[in-house]
Amino acid sequence: MSNDLARLSIAEARKKLDAREITALDLARACKANIDARNKELNVYLEVFDDIEEQAKRADDRIAKGETTPLLGIPLAIKDNILIEGKRASAASKILENYVASYDAIAITKLKEMGAVFLGRTNMDEFAMGGSTENSAFGPTRNPADIARVAGGSSGGSAAAVAAGMALGALGSDTGGSIREPASFCGIVGMKPTYGAVSRSGLMALGSSLDQIGPFAKTPEDARVLYEAVLGRDALDSTSIDLSLYPAHAPKKRIGVPRQLLSQGVDADVLERFEAGLGKLREQGYEIVDIELPSAALALAVYYIIMPAEASANLARFDGIRYGLSEKGDNLWEDYAKTRGNGFGPEVRRRIMLGTYVLSAGYYDAYYGKATTARAQLAAEVARALEDVDAIATPTAPSPAPKVGEKSDPLAMYLMDIFTVTANLTGNPAISVPMGAVEREGKQLPVGIQLTAAHGDDLSLFNLGAILSR
Amino acid sequence: MISKEEIDGLAELARLTLAEEERANLQKDISNILEYVGQVSGVPAAEAGAVPQNHNVMRADAPRTEGDTLLGKEEALRAAFPKREGAYNVVRKIIQKDE
Repeated sequence: MSNDLARLSIAEARKKLDAREITALDLARACKANIDARNKELNVYLEVFDDIEEQAKRADDRIAKGETTPLLGIPLAIKDNILIEGKRASAASKILENYVASYDAIAITKLKEMGAVFLGRTNMDEFAMGGSTENSAFGPTRNPADIARVAGGSSGGSAAAVAAGMALGALGSDTGGSIREPASFCGIVGMKPTYGAVSRSGLMALGSSLDQIGPFAKTPEDARVLYEAVLGRDALDSTSIDLSLYPAHAPKKRIGVPRQLLSQGVDADVLERFEAGLGKLREQGYEIVDIELPSAALALAVYYIIMPAEASANLARFDGIRYGLSEKGDNLWEDYAKTRGNGFGPEVRRRIMLGTYVLSAGYYDAYYGKATTARAQLAAEVARALEDVDAIATPTAPSPAPKVGEKSDPLAMYLMDIFTVTANLTGNPAISVPMGAVEREGKQLPVGIQLTAAHGDDLSLFNLGAILSR
Repeated sequence: MISKEEIDGLAELARLTLAEEERANLQKDISNILEYVGQVSGVPAAEAGAVPQNHNVMRADAPRTEGDTLLGKEEALRAAFPKREGAYNVVRKIIQKDE
C-alpha cells in the first residue's frame, strides 16, 4: 500500500473506508510511512505513539460491524498541550518533559468516541508562546514547503503534519493566531472557533480569555468535520457555551475589508494573493466593501498586555510540587525559582516577567486597565462591522514563513500576529484558507487569507472557505 | 528603560532564577515591548459605571459522582508526584522558625 493514501482528504478517506476500499490500518500506515521518511528533517512529531496499529485495528473492527462516524479510522495529529490519558504531554517544555496525562481532554474524549486514530503529539512553541515553533524546547519544526523556513506557530507541528501527509487532520490551540498563522505558512486550512465553542478541559492554559482549540485540515469541509466533532458546551469548562445563544447572523452577501490596516507592512505579493481571494468571493456575488476598525491598530499592543498577564497567572501552577520538573534549592523559594528558572525556556520566562510587570501595583491601570478598555472598544467595533457584512477579510499574516532564526528580536516576531490577535481579543471565529503561494529565493511559499465572522456564525466560515478553495 | 533592580524584583515575584546575561537581555527586551504596548496609554479611561458583560458561571457546591475527568484517577495523580511515599506527596517543611 503506497503512502499516497495520506494525501486523501478526510471526506475522501471516509468514503473509501465505508466502501471497504481501504482500511484504517492502511491509512495509519500511509501516514506513518511519511512520518518515518520526513519527521527527522521536519521535527513535526515530538512523539509518535506506539499503539497506532492497535488503534487503527479497533477502528477497522467497528467499521467491519457496519459502524460509521465522520472520524472513525481517521489518523490525526494532536498538539502537545492537549491531554491524552496515559500519554506524555509536555507543551514542548522541559518543565513537563516527562509529564504523563492523567485524564483525557474533552476534545480527545469526543474524538475517541468517534474512533479517530491518534498518531502522536506535535511540536509547538513552548506553552504555545510564539509564532514559529522556534520556542520549542525540542527544536523548531521546519516548513514542508522549504525546510530553511519555519512552519509557523505555535501549533507548527500540527500544521506541518497535515501539510506533509503525516496526518489527515490535526488539533491545535489558538490564543493569538496559533492555528491560523501556521495554517497560512503551511498552505492548509486552520480555524479558531468562537470563544467558548469548544471545551478547553484538558488543554493547558495560556491566556484563558483568549484560548480555543481548533482544527487543521486540507480542506474547509474537513476542517468542519473536525470542528463539529469537538464542538459543544461542557460542564468541566465553565467558559464553554452553546453557540445557539448567539443571535443568528442574517447573510448580507458582503465582505468587509479594513483597508487602513493593509496600507503598510504587508508584502506586495501577499496583498496580490489577498486581492485574488477577494476576486473569487466577488465572482460568487459577494460585494467587497471597505470597513473601519479604528481600534484594530491597537490590537497587538492590547494582546501583548493581556496575554502575558494571563499567562503569568496560569503558569504559576508549575512549581515542581505536584508534577513535572522538580529542582531542589536551599529553601522553598529556591525550590520554586530553580524549578521554574531551569524548566521554562527564555520566551516563557520573558512573558511571565512581562505579565508580572503589567499586573504590578502601580502599573496595572496604565497597562492592563487600558488594555481591557481598548479590548472592549475593539469588540464593539468588530460587532458593529459584522452587522453589515458576513465576514471581515485580511491576509492571515503580513508575509510568508520567515527563515529559521530570522526573527531573533521578540518584538519583530510578535508583529507577525498583527492580523490574527483581533479575533482572540473579541472572541469571534476566524479561519485561514490557502490563497496560493508567493516566491522567495526560488521557493513557492504558501500564504493564507483570513476571514472573521460574527460570534456563533462559525459554519459560514467553512462555506466561505469552500468558495475560496475552488 | 526598566532598571536591573526592577528586573530582579519581578523575578522574585515570578519565582524565577535568572542568569546574569538573561537579566541584561530582559532589561532590553521588556523595555522595548513596554514601549510598544504603551500605545494603549492614549486610550481614554473606561467610563465610570461601565458594566462588564461577562459573569461568573458557578457549579453546584456538591461532590461530583460522575462526569469528572479525574474521578478514579487518584493513582495517576500520585504517580506524577516528584517525591512520593505511599499515597503521600512529600514536600518541604514550610513553617520554619525565624532566627
